[in-house]
Amino acid sequence: MSSAETFLEVRNLKTHFPVEKGLLFKRRLGDVKAVDGVSFALRQGEILGLVGESGCGKSTLGRTILQLVRPSAGDVLLEGQLLTALRGASLREARSAFQMVFQDPYASLNPRMTVFDALAEAMQAHAKVPRRELPGRIDALLEKVGLSRQARRKYPHEFSGGQRQRIAIARALAVAPKLLVADEPASALDVSIQAQIINLLARLSREMGLTLLFISHDLSVVKHIADRIAVMYLGRIVEIGPAADVIGQPLHPYTKALISAIPIPDPRRETRRVRILLPGDPPSPLHPPSGCPFHPRCLYAVERCAQVVPALEPFGQPGRQASCIRMIEIERQGNTP
Amino acid sequence: MADSTPMAMVEPAETGGGSSFWQDAWHRLWQNKLAIFGLAVLGVLAALCFAAFLWPNITGYSYEQQNLALGPAPPNHAHWLGTDPLGRDLLARLLYGGGISLMVGLCATAVSLTIGVIYGAIAGFAGGKLDMLMMRTVDILYALPFAIFVILLMVFFGQNIILLFVAIGAVEWLTMARIVRGQVMAVKRQEYVEAAHALGLKEGRIIFRHIVPNLLGPIIVYATLTVPEVILLESFLSFLGLGVQPPHSSWGVLIKEGAEVMEEYPWLLIYPGAVMALTLFSLNFLGDGLRDALDVRGSKD
Amino acid sequence: MPLLTVENLRAAFHTRNGVVRAVQDVSFQLERGETLGIVGESGSGKSVTCYSIMGLVPQPPGRIEGGRALFGGVDLLACSHRQLNGIRGRRISMIFQDAMTSLNPFLRIGEQLIEPLMIHEKIARTAATDRALAMLDEAGISEAEHRLKMYPHEFSGGMRQRVMIAMALITKPDLLIADEPTTALDVTVQAQILELIRKMQNELGMAVILVSHDLGIVSGFCNRVMVMYAGRVMESARTDDLFYDTKHPYTRGLQNSIPALQMKGRELHTIPGQPPDPHHPLPGCPFAPRCGHAVEYCARGEIVMLEAAPQHGTACLRVQKENLSI
Repeated sequence: MSSAETFLEVRNLKTHFPVEKGLLFKRRLGDVKAVDGVSFALRQGEILGLVGESGCGKSTLGRTILQLVRPSAGDVLLEGQLLTALRGASLREARSAFQMVFQDPYASLNPRMTVFDALAEAMQAHAKVPRRELPGRIDALLEKVGLSRQARRKYPHEFSGGQRQRIAIARALAVAPKLLVADEPASALDVSIQAQIINLLARLSREMGLTLLFISHDLSVVKHIADRIAVMYLGRIVEIGPAADVIGQPLHPYTKALISAIPIPDPRRETRRVRILLPGDPPSPLHPPSGCPFHPRCLYAVERCAQVVPALEPFGQPGRQASCIRMIEIERQGNTP
Repeated sequence: MADSTPMAMVEPAETGGGSSFWQDAWHRLWQNKLAIFGLAVLGVLAALCFAAFLWPNITGYSYEQQNLALGPAPPNHAHWLGTDPLGRDLLARLLYGGGISLMVGLCATAVSLTIGVIYGAIAGFAGGKLDMLMMRTVDILYALPFAIFVILLMVFFGQNIILLFVAIGAVEWLTMARIVRGQVMAVKRQEYVEAAHALGLKEGRIIFRHIVPNLLGPIIVYATLTVPEVILLESFLSFLGLGVQPPHSSWGVLIKEGAEVMEEYPWLLIYPGAVMALTLFSLNFLGDGLRDALDVRGSKD
Repeated sequence: MPLLTVENLRAAFHTRNGVVRAVQDVSFQLERGETLGIVGESGSGKSVTCYSIMGLVPQPPGRIEGGRALFGGVDLLACSHRQLNGIRGRRISMIFQDAMTSLNPFLRIGEQLIEPLMIHEKIARTAATDRALAMLDEAGISEAEHRLKMYPHEFSGGMRQRVMIAMALITKPDLLIADEPTTALDVTVQAQILELIRKMQNELGMAVILVSHDLGIVSGFCNRVMVMYAGRVMESARTDDLFYDTKHPYTRGLQNSIPALQMKGRELHTIPGQPPDPHHPLPGCPFAPRCGHAVEYCARGEIVMLEAAPQHGTACLRVQKENLSI
């Protein structure tokens, strides 16, 4: 991707949380390497799906990009501007360009503020909107997310989870951002409501030209909405590429296992498929394995996997990358371990 | 069907009109019979005591008016609750004393509230080392025997009733500080506060518009529950002769005087004791009711 | 004779804001060794149904307002507390969604594992401990001896769930009720846990009721599926029939909403609107306001389950009256 086209660039981003012990004089035990060297670039208007299981660091990555958590190392550039260098008032002002939709619709809205107040506050955070224009603009925003203007005077607890999430999306859009990070926006909702929220985000992103970073543990949702997919494991991206390719021809053993684990609501296919069952549990970021972080659970692992930390290497079409030292062999052998 | 169906077609499943948190809370409180009972009792008592303050002769006798000829008399027509050894009308003393006790309760709670909230809020917001320092100080102060402390204060600075408020308040603020600090830290971590940060709101706005309103619940509850503690503390001091001085009365004074002669003139102990117990119960019921009503999590069930 | 027969189960919660009819007229049968899936979203009543059978509904505010649950000749809803305790944990076991809150944080795993054995089978501690070790092994927990002495918080989510399964199955029950056992787990761990339940089921020949909101899990695991909505059973059939010969619009709507089956590029199918307010139930079919097939009589008729095909029941009025194809 040429630098002229790059809208968002993340370079070797690291977020480490120190683990300390002691009362007055703290001893540093180590670091939780929540994000451990992530790099990627997005075009304007692109939707990137970020998938991974608990502990992989995807939420932390989203927050770090938005500077809600300060990175320990690395850079984040938005339209060429170095976000990681901003501080204080300049950072606050820059926030109108990038916003977040949080996971828990029951916690992300202030229970003491009406919808009107919450949206008005967001609108006026970065621009002076005259009082008399507010109702009109807020109504337009509510309509955009599929809520009626009756919602204005109500409090969050009077809405269902799906509706609250719509309010949260409206709030994020009120500052007119260019980048939207959605952190598992539909995970806390019922299946029939999830689809509504996902459709909404996809539509808004297209209509408003938003660049969307969609974080989820659910590959099937992500495959639906994303142009590209990045798979994370223990703080690193292990595979990235166009959505259809990553799903159709996964390169990294973890991606293969992840796809294999998704239940398909189709009895004939579900009972006949061959499952890849991963042994063990997702690893703890406090005690990462040596070499490739996935090797203890990998069915293809060989001795060298415990010694070498693989980097993202391109494979096949441009834009496809995976970090597995054996991926070429595995592709040639046709997926037999 | 595509998502184009406007949600206006399907109204939110709750009743119309914005019911704010406070309205909801009041509604819940109203349904708690014990709490309302407590509130009613307190209302009546407070009204009576206040009246006694404004019109000291409301019962026909002033709290200090002695009648040595009559001496101690059990309840009768003239003196509904009887008289004490100096012939003073017990009812008048009870109402007047109640006024003093309630006033001490409210004022001392106000003092502890002010100090506690400011201290706790600073510690909670600051976090890190400052918070640790402030809270360890509270821990150390907690270890001091408060009664002796108050006694020392009273001894040093004389027995001014204003000083009584201050002394008690200065001792009670510790728990309030802890509660406020804990609540600030909990609210700070809430996702809506993080969302406010993400929007790029100014720090001041986040504090006053997002954090402070969500602190009020536990603070109100705890303050309501501090009042009976303070009244008890005052009565304890008065019992020791350090609190309210004669000829003023307070419930503590009355109980002390009643306890001294309880075998011969039991009514002098029973009535003040009963009224004080009733008040403390009422305050506790009200406090519990407020806590249930203000619990944000249980908003609609 | 079926292992479990539930007839016209009705359960309600009497709350401050009114009466919530959580379960209305639910009936089903379960044979030995069979797997039944109960599918529904939040508020559907699927969990309350199972809690009612196990006698775990807090009464007040809950109340079992009618129906029978016959297990081995005993009506679980009407029997004495003593009888119920003899059955629960021994012949019927239950596992829950969040293993962290289902395990006692103050007791070591070993203690919690042998507890059901000591209570129900009255065997000695050493014998029970041996059985516990064997069970942990079966459940795929390595270093079982060491693990026995650990506390719940020292385990990962997936491990805790395995421990809970071990605890539930140690008495070799006839029926296991699993209430969303994998919802809180990562998808790779989910696959492991389901595999474990299936393996244990085969070994013990027990029946399983799997409660889930995930049609995908249910399609691979269950012999029969029951779909619930707003406290009622909407459709009940063999798994294949439910998926390939759907006879209720809600089931179809659920299938359509799942992204896994849909083509990219088009919008996801959704079910418009929202689940009904349990405090203000409307007359007629609870799904009518959101149903694309609803007609005028749907909001009036009485809702009952009728057999529309062999062993395939539906509560859809239009299917019952007009044999509408979904």
